[in-house]
Amino acid sequence: MARELRPGQRKYSPGSIAADAVLVGWFIFSLFPLVWMVLLSLKSRSEQISTYFAFTPTLENFGTVLSDEGTRLTSVNFTEALLTSVINCVGAVIVSLVIGIPAAYAAGRWKYRGSNDVMFTILSFRFAPELMVIVPLFIIYNQLGIFDTNVGMIWVLQLVTMPLIVWILRSYFQDMPAELEQAALLDGYSRKRAFLMVALPLVRPGIAASALLAFIFAWNNYVFPLILTGSRHTPVTVAVTRFLGGGGQAYYNLTAAAALIAALPPLLVALSIQRYLVRGLSFGAVKS
Amino acid sequence: MTLTATPGKLERTGPPVRAVPPWRRKLRPYVLSLPAVFLIVGILYPFGLGVYYVFLNYAAQVPRPVLIGLANLTGVLSDAAFWNSAGFTVLYAVLATVIETVLGVGIALLLNRSSLIGRVLERVLILPLMIAPVIAGVIWGLMFNPQFGVLNYVLGLGSTFDWFSESRAMWSALLVDAWIFTPFVAVLVLAGIRSLPREPFEASEVDGASWFTMFRRLMLPMIWPYILVAVIFRFMDSLKVFDHVFVLTAGGPGDATRTLQIGAYQNSIITFKYSIGSTYMFLLWVIVFLTARYLVGVLGKAQRRAAGTEA
Amino acid sequence: MATLTLSGLTARYDRTTALHGLDLEIADGEFFVLLGPSGAGKTTTLKCVAGLIDDVGGEVGIGGRSMTGVEPYERGVAMAFESYALYPQKTVEENLASPLRSGRLGSWTPAQQAERIKQVTTTLGIDHLLKRFPRELSNGQRQRTALGRVLVRPADVYLLDEPLSHLDAKLRAAMRAELTQLGEMSDTTTLYVTHDYQEALALGNRIGVLRDGKLVQVGTPEELWTEPADTFVARSLGQPEMNLLDATAVDGVAKTAGGVEVGVPAGVSGPVRIGIRPRDLTIGTVGAGGSADGADRLTIAGRVVLAERLGRAVELSVDAHGDRIIVVTTDQKVHEDDTVELSVERSAVHIFAAAEPGQDSERIGAAEPIRVAEVER
Repeated sequence: MARELRPGQRKYSPGSIAADAVLVGWFIFSLFPLVWMVLLSLKSRSEQISTYFAFTPTLENFGTVLSDEGTRLTSVNFTEALLTSVINCVGAVIVSLVIGIPAAYAAGRWKYRGSNDVMFTILSFRFAPELMVIVPLFIIYNQLGIFDTNVGMIWVLQLVTMPLIVWILRSYFQDMPAELEQAALLDGYSRKRAFLMVALPLVRPGIAASALLAFIFAWNNYVFPLILTGSRHTPVTVAVTRFLGGGGQAYYNLTAAAALIAALPPLLVALSIQRYLVRGLSFGAVKS
Repeated sequence: MTLTATPGKLERTGPPVRAVPPWRRKLRPYVLSLPAVFLIVGILYPFGLGVYYVFLNYAAQVPRPVLIGLANLTGVLSDAAFWNSAGFTVLYAVLATVIETVLGVGIALLLNRSSLIGRVLERVLILPLMIAPVIAGVIWGLMFNPQFGVLNYVLGLGSTFDWFSESRAMWSALLVDAWIFTPFVAVLVLAGIRSLPREPFEASEVDGASWFTMFRRLMLPMIWPYILVAVIFRFMDSLKVFDHVFVLTAGGPGDATRTLQIGAYQNSIITFKYSIGSTYMFLLWVIVFLTARYLVGVLGKAQRRAAGTEA
Repeated sequence: MATLTLSGLTARYDRTTALHGLDLEIADGEFFVLLGPSGAGKTTTLKCVAGLIDDVGGEVGIGGRSMTGVEPYERGVAMAFESYALYPQKTVEENLASPLRSGRLGSWTPAQQAERIKQVTTTLGIDHLLKRFPRELSNGQRQRTALGRVLVRPADVYLLDEPLSHLDAKLRAAMRAELTQLGEMSDTTTLYVTHDYQEALALGNRIGVLRDGKLVQVGTPEELWTEPADTFVARSLGQPEMNLLDATAVDGVAKTAGGVEVGVPAGVSGPVRIGIRPRDLTIGTVGAGGSADGADRLTIAGRVVLAERLGRAVELSVDAHGDRIIVVTTDQKVHEDDTVELSVERSAVHIFAAAEPGQDSERIGAAEPIRVAEVER
């Protein structure tokens, strides 16, 4: 049963036990806030300010957050916020896929003049300070009447989803040998059919991974909706913060419940695409 | 073993043969990129507008903004508040990047040993990274609370220890930053380590090299490009940090944690001085742009070196 | 089933030119082999014919019809890629069915498709692999599948890019023998690319030798073997490569530094090169020194410097007074340091123009007898 050792791996020794201890230490640090969030979300109103770990768990906070009661306390309907987040993120990802797949394909398949300019301009969106764009957009949106709308959010979320999808997919298209599609052309398929029959199925894992990762980052975005939405189409990230300071009253247990609900979708999605995560997080720069 | 039937004469059943002029061939990638270019224009327009604001005296209080040349730039650049903000942003970004890189590389090395515990923990490594930074800020904010927060209780700090005093606020924000983003460095570097070839390490083990020598002489040069990718992402993102710092401190106390993006937010959205806010962002953009160019150059060099094409 | 014409064909990749104006006429049903080292432009030529390269000058004609600007799927060509280019998500059977299902190459009922696929895979010996995916095949099996995807369909022109390169030696020999039959059976014009001269000589009705994007010589296997246009063609055919000895021709006699003398065609003088194939030389152990020029044979005496035993044959490196000559013999009794006498038919001795070492030069002709009157002894 002796496994071969990878570079840098060592067999068991006192040193390796110490190393495991350090790892366990990190993971206590890493997971404690999440555990605490869950515990707090299960505490009743009267116990919310206690710092004890022993208490009588209740699920009533989730009911409160998702009901009119929560809306009354925060002036944001959390159920609608969830729906808004889903619509915005799914919409933004679909738009990015529809626009991004052809562009990623063109950039991965051909060298054409301006190809790098297009790609790097798209990448620069990822690194541009958001407020540089938001302030003018705030004014433009008000003029166009799309302030605090899903359309407005889907547009601006392209800054988050587009670079991710285009860059990841380009790296997938580059990895796919051109001769596969050429073979399809010679088999008598048009370029469109060759793309659909050969290229698309092969990059399907890349499409799924990049779309889901883009979904996560769109979901987690805060600064765009903070400024570009009001109270009607607020997504969950903004809605969660409303529980913190509702009229001088603090609702820690409700905040924790709302945070937990808001954090669950990205966590679940992330765990499902873990295998593709590294390539996605590095925009295709690191392949694993 | 010979073919008993010929495939038959080729009878074209598709549409008739037609020639495609070369310009149409050349146009193909452009046609495919066209929607993306439209989108780029849709994003660059507000960006350009933002740059234009730098040269206006635009604010909600000014009904008819006019061009005022470089007055905003000179004004902001001679304002101590801006320099305080810029200095904090750069310091924060450097510290966050260094801390997270060191911790991330360390964790990657420990996880690479693939002990039983490591393999279990590896699965949950990225959880903090996948939570919205703003929600991370909210959770930590609850934990930091001097009276009701769990940290002072667990760490025995009493109910008066203030995590967001003027001298501690930055470090508290960095703690949260490291909690969120260290896994980012760790997963990238871990992927890098796992992609390394095995032979040089076996050879050096045969030669009796110590672990540290092996790490410094062999592994570090080979995973350097991966570390650099992580550093680039972390540094550039830290320069425009907003979400978790904003919900934790809103830039305070005073302006102790006022990053440039928070400064721009305060100027543009709180006090409606759009032009001043845009000037902040324009200057941050310049910093980000120059840093990016420099770091990407360093990365290219490191990648070529790791690939062995440059001495 | 059509002729294939290339006229002034040029191709460019980025900034480098891969093909410099190829002109070629391939007859209907002909099996034409393109031979050349890697990087000579063989694959590029095939892809130009298939319409897979955009930056192309000149013209490709199939069946007398210009293919300029015509999309690959309308050219009626089938190609076996050296990289196989099998669809990884499809089984062997689906890979072979792909051209039959496209709708551009005739209508095939599912039963007809299955029958056709069965025939081809049986011929290629891969009929037991129909349900496998490409990743579950050996390289040799992949290569035969790629070949099958070509043979299964009707086409005007077959383009085969090194279709035997990944087979093991035994299977390659068997397939080589079979391909000639297949080629005759289907009677389809075929452009076949290889770097293996034996394949080229065995398969081609005609061979074109390609070098640096230019056709050096086009001809039948016999023509290329007996009258290579230059030292490049001469060295491309045969293993080990042809011996090339520098010589100087004076008064109709070329003499090497080591004293080998042969007659040259009339009018040739100055520096030349003498070319002799290692397998054309026979060996005797006569002790006499010097070189003699008999009526129809040239003999050269020398000492064996190195004897490399390759099983049935022995490869000798012979030092003939400073000229280094490679010989292949089946005589197992030759040892290093033996003195041997090499002899070769004069018609198998080629005279080439002189050139710098490493440069190729044109063939002038075959060696001629030295006219006695001119010999000074």
